[in-house]
Amino acid sequence: MHSPMEQFEIKRLLHLNLFGIDASFTNSSTWMIIAVILATAVFVWGMRQRALVPGRLQSVAEVGYEFIAGMVRDNVGDGGKKYFPFILTLFIFILFCNVLGLVPYSFTVTSQIVVTFAMAAFVFVGVTIIGFARHGLHFLSLFVPKGVPFVLLLLLVPIEIISYFIRPFSLSIRLFANMLAGHTMLKVFGGFVVMLGIIGGWAPLAFIVVFTGLELLIAFLQAYVFAILTCLYLNDAVHLHH
Amino acid sequence: MRRSVYGAFAAGLAALLASGTVLAKEGSGGMPQLDPNSFAPQLVWLAIAFLALYLVMSRLAVPAISDTLDKRQAKIQGDLDAAEKANEETRSLVAAYEKRLADTREDARKLMRERGEADSAAAAARLQALHDKLAAEIGEAEKRIAAQRDEVMQGLERMAEDIGQDVYAKLAGQPADRAALAAKIAAAAPGTRGGGSR
Repeated sequence: MHSPMEQFEIKRLLHLNLFGIDASFTNSSTWMIIAVILATAVFVWGMRQRALVPGRLQSVAEVGYEFIAGMVRDNVGDGGKKYFPFILTLFIFILFCNVLGLVPYSFTVTSQIVVTFAMAAFVFVGVTIIGFARHGLHFLSLFVPKGVPFVLLLLLVPIEIISYFIRPFSLSIRLFANMLAGHTMLKVFGGFVVMLGIIGGWAPLAFIVVFTGLELLIAFLQAYVFAILTCLYLNDAVHLHH
Repeated sequence: MRRSVYGAFAAGLAALLASGTVLAKEGSGGMPQLDPNSFAPQLVWLAIAFLALYLVMSRLAVPAISDTLDKRQAKIQGDLDAAEKANEETRSLVAAYEKRLADTREDARKLMRERGEADSAAAAARLQALHDKLAAEIGEAEKRIAAQRDEVMQGLERMAEDIGQDVYAKLAGQPADRAALAAKIAAAAPGTRGGGSR
């Protein structure tokens, strides 16, 4: 019987070496590329007619666009407009990877801590650079809450600093843990179906059906959470207020 | 609340890591996510895939969608403006129509009043003319009647004279003096002389 963790193994399909770095094409790479191709299909091929009255696929693309555009507008404001393509890409990439992970025999790209951490670290570093670029050293006032007595500041400033540096970890672990837990759960119950066989296997099978629906919701929700938290961090860097 | 959520995630992660190590003892290699050998290829392909998607989105998808949305917005706004303009035009047309209607009604009333005045003046003139004509006819008729009466009276006097002469001749047996008899008759009937003046 397979381990529930086996599904997360990276399998090298094509050994590649790029300037001494292992750049092998893996099952993870495959599903990343599939996600990119499908997203391109929806957003470019779906928009090819640019119809005033949209068809189905164009509606999907427009709804996704307006969803993230509204999120950026509400949470970052006008200053966030130039970061909108990045937030949209982030959301769409995570969403497609999450949802594609639910396809049987596929691989869940976002169930890998290194992938989610790389994205979260990129957001963290990028936001910090934007903050210092826009406000200089004044950006450090982000760690000093306004209208707080000096004595409390001694306590609050370290907390603010810690909570700031914990952002990439919370952001990446939230997504990774959700994907890991969901897929492990599905696999474990899948194992129960096999173990209980045709007589008792229906109960875990029914559970899997229901749980897959929940996982779909989580797939969307975690992409949304990742995007909206990126917006909130960006808002801190752009507008520098609590 | 967020911190408690983080705590829950950390606990969950710890549990999963623990389960991973337990599974590792069973010989499946532990949590595959923590294998450092798998990091480099994933990061390389994440960078490639993400950059590709970013370029597709920022160069192709976002301009296409925002262009389409703008065009749709412009079309809707244009239609709304056109409708507003048409509405405005209709309102001014209705106002012009109503003004013309009111003017025409006023004109008609004035015309009718003028016509009525002219009509009554003409009627009065005609009435006056009729009145005058009738008065003239009446006057003429009266003159004619007076003349006829005079004639009749003269005839009557002559008849009286003839009858008087005849009666005198029968009674006296001799012809009467005509002038004296006429004077006597005239004295007996003074109203008959100079007819017409009643």
